[in-house]
Amino acid sequence: MKMPNFLGKNPLILAVCLLLAVLLLANFINFGGASIHYATQVKPILNKKCISCHGGVKQNAEFSMMTREHLLRPNESGKPAVVPGKPDESELMKRIQSHDPEERMPYEEAPLSKKEISILRQWIKEGAQWGEHWAYVPVQPVKVPKAKGFLGIFPAPKNQWVQNDIDWFILDRLKKEGLSNSPIADKATLLRRVSLDLTGQPAPASLAKKYLADQSPKAYENLVDSLLALPAYGERWASMWLDLARYADTKGYERDYKRDIWRYRDWLIRTLNKDMPYNDFLTEQLAGDLLPNPTDDQFLATAFHRNTPTNDEGGTLNEEYRVVALIDRVNTTFEAILGTTFACTQCHGHPYEAIFHDEYYKVMAYFNNSRDEDTNEDYPLLRHYPKADSLKLDSLCRWVAQNDSPKRSMEIYTFLKTLQPSFYSIASDQFVNCELYDTKWLNMRNHASARFQEVDLTGKSQLILPLCGVVGGGRFSIHLDSLNGPLLLSIGMEKTANYCDTKAYDFQPVKGKHRLFFRYENPALASDPRKSGIGFNWFYFTNPFPGQGKPGYEQKLADYWALIRQDPPTTPIMMDNPATLPRPNHVFERGNWLVKGQKVSPGVPALLGKLPAGAPSNRLGFAQWVTDPKNPLTARTMVNRMWEQVFGQGLAETLEDLGSQGIPPTHPELMDYLAWQFVHEQGWSMKKLLREMVLSATYRQSSVGNPNLVEKDPTNKFYARGPRVRLSAEQIRDQALSLAGLLSHKKYGPGVMPYQPDGIWKSPYNSDNWIQSEGEDRYRRAVYTYCKRSSGYPSMLTFDGATRAVCTARRIRTNTPLQALVTLNDPVYIEAAKAFAQKMKKLGGKEVKNQIKKGYGLALGKHIEEQKLQTLVGLYDKAKAKYAADPKLVQALFAEPEPKNAAEKKPASLPMPAYSAEDAALTLVANALLNLDELVSKN
Amino acid sequence: MSRRINLQDELRQESAALNTRRLFLKNCAMGLGAAAMGSLLSACGGGSITNTGNAIVFDPANPLAPRPPHFPGKAKSVIYLHMAGAPSQLDLFDYKPTLAKLNGQACPESLLAGKTFAFIRGVPKLLGPQSNFMQRGQSGAWISDYLPHLSTIADDLAFLKAVNTDQFNHAPAQLLMHTGSARLGRPSIGSWATYGLGSENSNLPGFVVLTSGGQNPDAGKAVWGSGFLPSVYQGVQCRSAGEPVLYLQDPQGIDRDLRQASIEAINDVNRKTYEEFKDPEILSRISQYEMAYRMQVTAPEVMNINDEPAYIHEMYGTKPGQEAFANNVLLARKLVEKGVRFVQLFDWGWDAHGTGADTAIDVGFINKCREIDKSITALILDLKQRGLLEETLVVWGSEFGRTPMQENRNGLELPFKGRDHHADAFTMWMCGGGIKAGASHGETDEIGFNAVSGKVSVYDVQATILNQLGFDHEKFTYQFQGRPFRLTDVEGAVIKQVVA
Repeated sequence: MKMPNFLGKNPLILAVCLLLAVLLLANFINFGGASIHYATQVKPILNKKCISCHGGVKQNAEFSMMTREHLLRPNESGKPAVVPGKPDESELMKRIQSHDPEERMPYEEAPLSKKEISILRQWIKEGAQWGEHWAYVPVQPVKVPKAKGFLGIFPAPKNQWVQNDIDWFILDRLKKEGLSNSPIADKATLLRRVSLDLTGQPAPASLAKKYLADQSPKAYENLVDSLLALPAYGERWASMWLDLARYADTKGYERDYKRDIWRYRDWLIRTLNKDMPYNDFLTEQLAGDLLPNPTDDQFLATAFHRNTPTNDEGGTLNEEYRVVALIDRVNTTFEAILGTTFACTQCHGHPYEAIFHDEYYKVMAYFNNSRDEDTNEDYPLLRHYPKADSLKLDSLCRWVAQNDSPKRSMEIYTFLKTLQPSFYSIASDQFVNCELYDTKWLNMRNHASARFQEVDLTGKSQLILPLCGVVGGGRFSIHLDSLNGPLLLSIGMEKTANYCDTKAYDFQPVKGKHRLFFRYENPALASDPRKSGIGFNWFYFTNPFPGQGKPGYEQKLADYWALIRQDPPTTPIMMDNPATLPRPNHVFERGNWLVKGQKVSPGVPALLGKLPAGAPSNRLGFAQWVTDPKNPLTARTMVNRMWEQVFGQGLAETLEDLGSQGIPPTHPELMDYLAWQFVHEQGWSMKKLLREMVLSATYRQSSVGNPNLVEKDPTNKFYARGPRVRLSAEQIRDQALSLAGLLSHKKYGPGVMPYQPDGIWKSPYNSDNWIQSEGEDRYRRAVYTYCKRSSGYPSMLTFDGATRAVCTARRIRTNTPLQALVTLNDPVYIEAAKAFAQKMKKLGGKEVKNQIKKGYGLALGKHIEEQKLQTLVGLYDKAKAKYAADPKLVQALFAEPEPKNAAEKKPASLPMPAYSAEDAALTLVANALLNLDELVSKN
Repeated sequence: MSRRINLQDELRQESAALNTRRLFLKNCAMGLGAAAMGSLLSACGGGSITNTGNAIVFDPANPLAPRPPHFPGKAKSVIYLHMAGAPSQLDLFDYKPTLAKLNGQACPESLLAGKTFAFIRGVPKLLGPQSNFMQRGQSGAWISDYLPHLSTIADDLAFLKAVNTDQFNHAPAQLLMHTGSARLGRPSIGSWATYGLGSENSNLPGFVVLTSGGQNPDAGKAVWGSGFLPSVYQGVQCRSAGEPVLYLQDPQGIDRDLRQASIEAINDVNRKTYEEFKDPEILSRISQYEMAYRMQVTAPEVMNINDEPAYIHEMYGTKPGQEAFANNVLLARKLVEKGVRFVQLFDWGWDAHGTGADTAIDVGFINKCREIDKSITALILDLKQRGLLEETLVVWGSEFGRTPMQENRNGLELPFKGRDHHADAFTMWMCGGGIKAGASHGETDEIGFNAVSGKVSVYDVQATILNQLGFDHEKFTYQFQGRPFRLTDVEGAVIKQVVA
């Protein structure tokens, strides 16, 4: 090829032209290459404008944009709407640009903007490539955006502010936003901030003193480590997890009866304090019962998913509420652990993500096989034997293992710990002269019969049955396959001495699965056809206790029966059906549990990755998928949640939804960096993750704002200043009690009932009462407060506490006059103010000014500003004058409230301590202190 | 609070509110959510509300500030009277002479096929109306002699005679009626209304709940809960015994002067703190404390019915000093008069199964009717005479109705006349607030089992209530868990037949 003449003459011009050509070409290549990013540019347009009619919910004109495969397949017209690479031949482009209102899409809605149209055009031109939303792609290692020196070659000058890698990500973004970081906050502020964040309460005095005196560069780090090691740490973080676990001390619907499940809360506190790695923490909660030889703790952990509300209202369908609980388990797992909305796929494909309708039911299949059936008693239950009985149980199981087989020993252990696998009589039907009383308990009258499901009797020869005989003289019998079928056994029933009597009944072995038919006849009831003679809740098929004739048999048999007949405290737990009793899994058409569609097997949504190799097809396999390092959501969800707890908002604000409809993260690289570190460097340690966060300079910054900064970043999402948000309901209460010196450090145990106004609990058909706890139980940490679902503890609800009826992934902070009324007037806070005032007086010296200084110092760890002090001294003076003039007011303030419990009445001889006008005035000041914005906020 | 403080504060608050609003709008324009109020604000960043120009814009620093609905609503406030337990429509409003003739006969099996009842088993017997019916007023509405007072104002009411629900247990059915979902976790209709409209009186809660009958409704406080909406929109239960609002009273030994002085001191210190931190939340807290102080004065005044004249007490049939439905009805009038947006009454004890005399249609049920008849009638007349009925929507109803069959719990005949829960068709009525007086919509079959025309769903009722307040229920959404949620889920249509 011949060069044009003018170029050949000047090498410089030639060089310049060549360079230009290269640049142009490069530009063209870039333009012609993947310049449009599907997930960030195209998907938002589709979500906003198209997908509600052409996606998971509806496929108008048989056209869907849920997946690329859907997009490119022929629709109603017989042709695909998009031809990759050819926007002008793509019907989609014609439709979005049409001027005919009948043709133009979106139909009867605002048209797409020019920019949106050009993005879609370019996207189709580039081949209509699909891309994954960031949160569905496994986390990859992220490079820390450290400052680079000149030309990126020379070392950068050391940044004095930076404490760890988190700060580089923050600085990087601040620079882009034209903002700069704030200086590190003073020691006192940091002490309070980090103590409240890590332990939910002010630091113990000794720790505070040590830290404030420690001048070493490691002082703060040492403080953090000490705080992480305090037992209070577990209590504070359990509070967070209990919202996710929708933990409560009652069952939820209507009567809202008590449920003993607090041992799960205690498990949580202990486990968090031990810093169990998050993957194990999840595995035990999702599937602890399926681990080999599960310990009591592993069983207890599974109570996580037994916190589902159940419905004891008379006339409810037990199967309906079993399914409700099942759905709750699936939704909670996705919302709390996987940070993704899944609930919408109950009724149809996901409106925005490529998650299909049937995939919901594949996940549900993992949970569908659990033994619970909405029984009134919350079966299955873990039985907590007293120590002596536990030892007896261990010895008994060892004896069986030696004298029979380890397998039989395990069976007996499981049965004695859980009374499982048993059958519940509520699953009966075809009732004649009998009924599930209040739809809960099977009661039989004269000439009664009922049918039960198929039971595999192969290899069984004994029935264990807790039969309650109300009237003597009847006969209970079980027939196989029909009412008049072969008799399995017949029991002459006398009136039972106790409520029920659990006994064993031997029968001749039969093979295979048989429907059971129960019959009951009692001539003694001939004249009273309305009266029930017997009732029972469950039964268990087994074989006689093994080892007859072996040494020690009589003793072990006696122990066995003593343990069965024990009525120890219990906790509801998860357990799966035995292999002989699988539940079928179906899709529910349009989400209706009564309309069963195609059959499905357990599986996970394809969008979210595959099951790890060798994962079993049960909850344990599901847990393995959840905790697989390749799972794109688990670690991201958790680091985002921990970040929110510490910084006041998530890196992605919508903790419950990292999907394409959630609010995108402000610092996506930081989120992935933290997630990668959490899994691969920190070994899923929650304490290490938190430590990294609170050691960052970002966390340690001063939270002082300025008008410019507040205007540019009102919600502090770029972190140019330290976190400053209102404390949680629990923190506000615990802090007040702690400052007052009233806070009890007693750990664990059943929910306690601190002061609550009268007349709050009014559940129908439920005579339970709020009985105020005595002694230090009145001042326990908020995490131990009894939680009734239908009627929560009022002051906590006012401060945005969760009702715990459903999983709450995020509390939305509000600021209301009712909150002011709580901290001003709730007797809990008045009592705290009285005690706090006495402490101020004791520690502050004689002068009032110093007492107030002391109070402020105790609360905030720093000196009070003069003007603030003047204001509070002014309040004190005014109050003192008033109280001095009106001693009755002083008496009223310090009058003991009428004791609620008779037992608590003080002997009349005990004189009331004398309080002065000064005491009263100081109490009012203490009350004001507890209401200061600085006190109810993290500064 | 002193005049000086008030003026100063007002100025400060004005500037704070302006400042915050400006930031907020700026945020919206940038399409970013604001952390403090979470996804509440995401409506401004996209979603159906913005698309249709129906954005709910309000100041996050003052979430109860009044704001306009989608279109001018006929009703400014709602008084919703819920008879928890489900009264029998067949003995009050849905007159079925054929059922009277068939009294005692076995229920046709065809009606029972595929049906599930809470307690009825096997084949129950039909139970005729236990009351005497008459046509009332110009409209000729059938109202039984169980409600003699209400019968005199039949022409003011609009009946829905074929309301249908799919829940036949109390708690789930109440949840469905009030939150649009039979499961726990969704915001209640009163929360939606206050979220959408704010409140006209900042010295009182925007959404007040009053209960009577000795028990909370079966679904517990979830029927006035805020679900996923911020907790500021949850119903505030006002009580007839003890403090009208929890923690409203100053503690013993702290009188009004001292309380005022302490709130002034708290706010003065907080102002200093604001100067340091420049955190707008502090300004908001200052105004919340002011509001709390005013609420302490206003709420007991409003909640005190003793100041009402004797003829009003007589008219409502109040029982001062006791927990009584009639007292709550009078309170409801006082509250809407003061600008409270949504007043929700729950009266417990309507579950007339016939298991005892107190739940017998011809004994206990009559007593319950007597307890409500006079006061509800008085409410409507009183609202009318005050010119408030036009802007106040009164709704009467329950979670479902009752069966035309006598209950045969456990397959046995019960000693008293009772009816089981019935979800297929039941009666509700509305009045005032732009509702067509004297209308009646829907009809049931000859025995009142199924709807034969004008069948409306729970969602239709909700859509109609929201419509009267000025909301298009399909566009009134809240972004949560990645999708816009509605009170009416994916259903509901305004019942035009009863809208004036």
